[in-house]
Amino acid sequence: MSQSNQPNRLRQGGRIDRARTLSFTFNGKRYQGHAGDTLASALLANGVDLVNRSFKYSRPRGIVAAGAEEPNALVQLGSTEAAQVPNVRATQQALFEGLTAQSTNGWPNVQRDVMSLVGKLGGRFMPPGFYYKTFMAPASMWMTYEKYIRKGAGLGRSPMENDPDSYDHLNQHCELLVVGAGPAGLAAALTAARAGARVILCDEQEEMGGSLLASRELLDDQPAAQWAEQVISELAENDNVTLLPRTTANGYHDHNFVTLHERRTEHLGEAAPTVDGYRLTRSRMHRVRAGQVLLATGAHERPLVYGNNDVPGNLVAGAVSTYIRRYGVVPGNKLVLSVSNDHAYRAALDWDEAGRDVVAIVDARRHPDGELVEQARARGIRIIEGSAVLEAKGDKRVSGARVATIDAAAFKVTGQAELLECDTIASSGGYSPVIHLASHTGARPTWDEEILGFVPSLVKGVHAAGSARGVHDLAEGLADGAAKATEALAALGKSASAIEPPRAETIREGEACALYQVPHEKPTLRAPKQFVDMQNDVTAAAIELATREGFESIEHVKRYTAMGFGTDQGKLGNINGMAIAARCLGRSIPEVGTTVFRPNYTPVTFGAIVGRHCRELFDPERYTALHQWHVENGAEFEDVGQWKRPWYFPRKVNGKLETMDEAVARESLAVRTGVGILDATTLGKIDIQGPDAREFLGRVYTNKWAKLAPGRVRYGLMCKDDGMLMDDGTTSCLGENHFLMTTTTGGAAGVMEWLELWHQTEWPELQVYFTSVTDHWATMTVTGPDARKLLSEVTDIDLDKESFKFMDWRNGKVADVPARVFRISFTGELAYEINVQANYAMHVWKTLFEHGKKYDLTPYGTETMHVLRAEKGLIIAGQDTDGSVTPEDLGMFWAIGYDKPFSWIGKRALTRPDTARKDRKQFVGLKPVDPKVVLEEGAHIVVDKDQPIPMDMLGHVTSSYYSPNLESGFALAVIKGGRDRMGEKLYVPMPDGQAHEVEVVSPVFIDPKGERQHV
Amino acid sequence: MSDITYGRVATFNTHPDASIPKESPLSVAYNTGSVPAATSDSRVLFKEQAFLGHLILRGGAIVLDEAVRKVLGISLPGQPLGLALDETGERSVQWLSPDEWLVIVPGGEELDVEQRLRDALGDAHYAIVDVSGGQTLVSLEGEKARELLMKSTSYDVHPSNFPVGKAVSVVFGKSSLILRRPSEERYELVLRRSFADYLYRWILDAGAEYGIGVQR
Repeated sequence: MSQSNQPNRLRQGGRIDRARTLSFTFNGKRYQGHAGDTLASALLANGVDLVNRSFKYSRPRGIVAAGAEEPNALVQLGSTEAAQVPNVRATQQALFEGLTAQSTNGWPNVQRDVMSLVGKLGGRFMPPGFYYKTFMAPASMWMTYEKYIRKGAGLGRSPMENDPDSYDHLNQHCELLVVGAGPAGLAAALTAARAGARVILCDEQEEMGGSLLASRELLDDQPAAQWAEQVISELAENDNVTLLPRTTANGYHDHNFVTLHERRTEHLGEAAPTVDGYRLTRSRMHRVRAGQVLLATGAHERPLVYGNNDVPGNLVAGAVSTYIRRYGVVPGNKLVLSVSNDHAYRAALDWDEAGRDVVAIVDARRHPDGELVEQARARGIRIIEGSAVLEAKGDKRVSGARVATIDAAAFKVTGQAELLECDTIASSGGYSPVIHLASHTGARPTWDEEILGFVPSLVKGVHAAGSARGVHDLAEGLADGAAKATEALAALGKSASAIEPPRAETIREGEACALYQVPHEKPTLRAPKQFVDMQNDVTAAAIELATREGFESIEHVKRYTAMGFGTDQGKLGNINGMAIAARCLGRSIPEVGTTVFRPNYTPVTFGAIVGRHCRELFDPERYTALHQWHVENGAEFEDVGQWKRPWYFPRKVNGKLETMDEAVARESLAVRTGVGILDATTLGKIDIQGPDAREFLGRVYTNKWAKLAPGRVRYGLMCKDDGMLMDDGTTSCLGENHFLMTTTTGGAAGVMEWLELWHQTEWPELQVYFTSVTDHWATMTVTGPDARKLLSEVTDIDLDKESFKFMDWRNGKVADVPARVFRISFTGELAYEINVQANYAMHVWKTLFEHGKKYDLTPYGTETMHVLRAEKGLIIAGQDTDGSVTPEDLGMFWAIGYDKPFSWIGKRALTRPDTARKDRKQFVGLKPVDPKVVLEEGAHIVVDKDQPIPMDMLGHVTSSYYSPNLESGFALAVIKGGRDRMGEKLYVPMPDGQAHEVEVVSPVFIDPKGERQHV
Repeated sequence: MSDITYGRVATFNTHPDASIPKESPLSVAYNTGSVPAATSDSRVLFKEQAFLGHLILRGGAIVLDEAVRKVLGISLPGQPLGLALDETGERSVQWLSPDEWLVIVPGGEELDVEQRLRDALGDAHYAIVDVSGGQTLVSLEGEKARELLMKSTSYDVHPSNFPVGKAVSVVFGKSSLILRRPSEERYELVLRRSFADYLYRWILDAGAEYGIGVQR
């Protein structure tokens, strides 16, 4: 026990564990607190007044509130670089042993702040829009200015080292999600739980119970917190109830999808602990799909806006009660309480009971007469009626309060000011329902004159109860929670009876008066600063100035002044700001309206958003059945969609690993002169069965399928209905009613959907079914002059060139495994594509290599595949085409069946005049005059290299490589009227000013007659 | 010849002699990834049932039902998202879409089942496709299996929504799989071969908190 070290700690009371003392460090100084403290309550217990410097003026700031609405006490947590967490609200951070925190603002330190000089001297010269007006011109300099302004002002910093912690997500479903475990939330959750509903109850605080944890009232003649404990333990035992303490409902999204952030370990220490060998995730995002949502989010007390209301020692009244009753901390010695309502009198009663001096209660109402007022009078507390605190005195701590009678309606000080000596001013201007989540739906809240606050507008499936909708009385709030839960369940067709709420004494309260900004003897613009939004340093004068400068919409006022920006989201200041804007504009508050609150309610660490979707789980990696062999044989991989495909297989030559160019040159030559092998498993494969399969193919491909016999293979082009090429591939006839279609790797899923779409919506009468077999078959392409020799060693299939021709397929065994072998070629060489059931692929692949050793069987990857196919002028859909290229543009007239009996997809579009234009971009080859040049893919092609910019561009390079077979660079391109330009010399200008001269040639560079693939 | 032409459709016996080595879609994961052993503290158990026969059935329910009953002794699930098993639990039929079912049988039976179904179906319009090489079945058991699923899929796996006899295709991590509930204590996952390694990594990561063990 170290009471002496904590001057403001009461000897008893509160929910802290005095037996457990915890040490912590704030701004380099060590302090002690207790288990159950927040960092804020521990700081107040130790008499730490100054916790921060303000954002813009660098004014000293202290703790104002006790919850999420705290605007000042933002701290930087972390004793090491990796553990840095910015902008933590000290009021929401549980104290743990060794906690290390620093003020977010203040440089070089919070006591001596360089920027405060700017704030003091420049204060009156820093109107709203100051930074914009001063630093935005010239615009190019803003980045430079901003760096220094940020260093001075700051709002925390992110860690420079990797976060050692991890985060995850949990998908939750429930019939009723209750947000907030105060009186209304507990009554609602209990009602729903007893009715057998699936309930999630979440609450952002360390302990569930909300206002009941610091309440003066009794429930069923026992302390309110005790009732809360009983309810929570009943809920905890119910299997259908999920209790989530330390969990903030941060975003309400469409269809009752709500994101909750559970801080799982932040109360335990700086880094997540390890339990049973597993390091817990630091925080968890619960992605809740709720049948119904009940918001029992309570209310935030509004402070009054008076001069120097930001000096440390100014608090909201309810926070004073919370610190005394929940944490056993009195944050001062002499209190002046300035109020507009009865409810806030509790702060003075609690202060008095704590044995400290209540100097006076300053009540803006002329004749306050509620029960709490009577209690205060009975204790002999001085009540100054019809008055308010005009101005706080003091610099780093309140030293007095100037008090005078006012006329709130006329916004005038009517009496002589009296200076009351005090060290604490607590104020209350009423209670604003916490409507943030309801606002996330886009529903605009409505002003309720009765409670002097905005109440939420609710979309379907969302309910509000208790203080969240302005029902502030305890007994009424409990009943309201229960009643709203039954309404919510009724909406799901579930009947429930409301629980009998515990007996609560009803305290008669007098009517509150509307008071937001307290008038001052001086006009607002000349009075001491009256802060509205302390986090963003927005004053009443700033709002008044904004309205004078013509900003009449509250949305514009917000952006001009920055009110409600940042982590604060206007929790404490927004309503006051709107009231001031309304006063200045001569309108009512509902006429001025409110700005929109957006997710997230409180800041969320990126880790919780990312969850486990990082590092090796960032995105799925698709492997072929041969992946491990590729890895073991040193493949470099290329991402093709989500597939990992071998890109090239660098070998070690003279102790040095080949570059890609070297590897590709070697692999290309091997295929042209010996034999190579490619893992082609990633090609999309679709099994097509049915009596109308052939007819269907004829309608989705541009070419003819009527006569393709079993055992034969055909290449097909697929167009979208606009006539532009979409995908290509070969399709084999397996039986009269049975085909196997292949697609590009990237196009597989899209083609499958395309087939189903046309079948289901346009031609449902066709009897045909499609099934993806991409993963079932592994595909290995053996290609090169030696392919037949190699394959013949391991297969029982007759490979004779007369009986097994180009574009035939046969089945048999390869390496003792049943296989379908397709004689198709994407290299222009003799080629066999071997398909086996994927589970046996590795055996077949390895067997081929055993036999292939003597032929120097060379594995090759996608890069060599690209070079080889380009040498043959074979397109890659999506590389040489871009959604604006027709089969005619590609010169593939042979693959267009204009005379097919039934129209096919794209046919009509291809008969438009535009697609018949002679000057369309057409597919050609390019040969650089300098063979060493490898053109850049995407580069533009022009006639006159000396034409001034903008030049007339004829087209662009679609594929470009160096060919070891041609011993030259070569390219494929699309060029306007290209087929009529054969032999022409054109130019490819580069950014560095040089222009490569190229000759337009046929896109087929090797073996134009196709003899090699027919051998 | 491996193909046997059934009317106008080719069937294919994919299997070589039993002496030929085979690799399940999870072989890369087993060979190169982590394979935590199951212990008494494991609150989730992962077990692959590799090399089963998987067939996709396409066709109308009325067309298929009688043949399936005749060949497998199981009625087609009467409801969408239905899963029906035979008495041994070794053969199952699962609804995938209004005209699509997944049949899983002991490994090696698939061609026989396909041919018997084709015999029974005659000239009806249907399709049967062997996809045994393209997917694998995994079972998850243990007290925390459901919570592991909650980390992984947005589908509601609470027993009130996902009772025994239900099966559904779900988003899982950033991939997808088929999730089945054949019995009270067991969940089954049908993984696509090419995504299997990612899904394995995801499941192991999600299960680390529960001391997940892999039974081989």
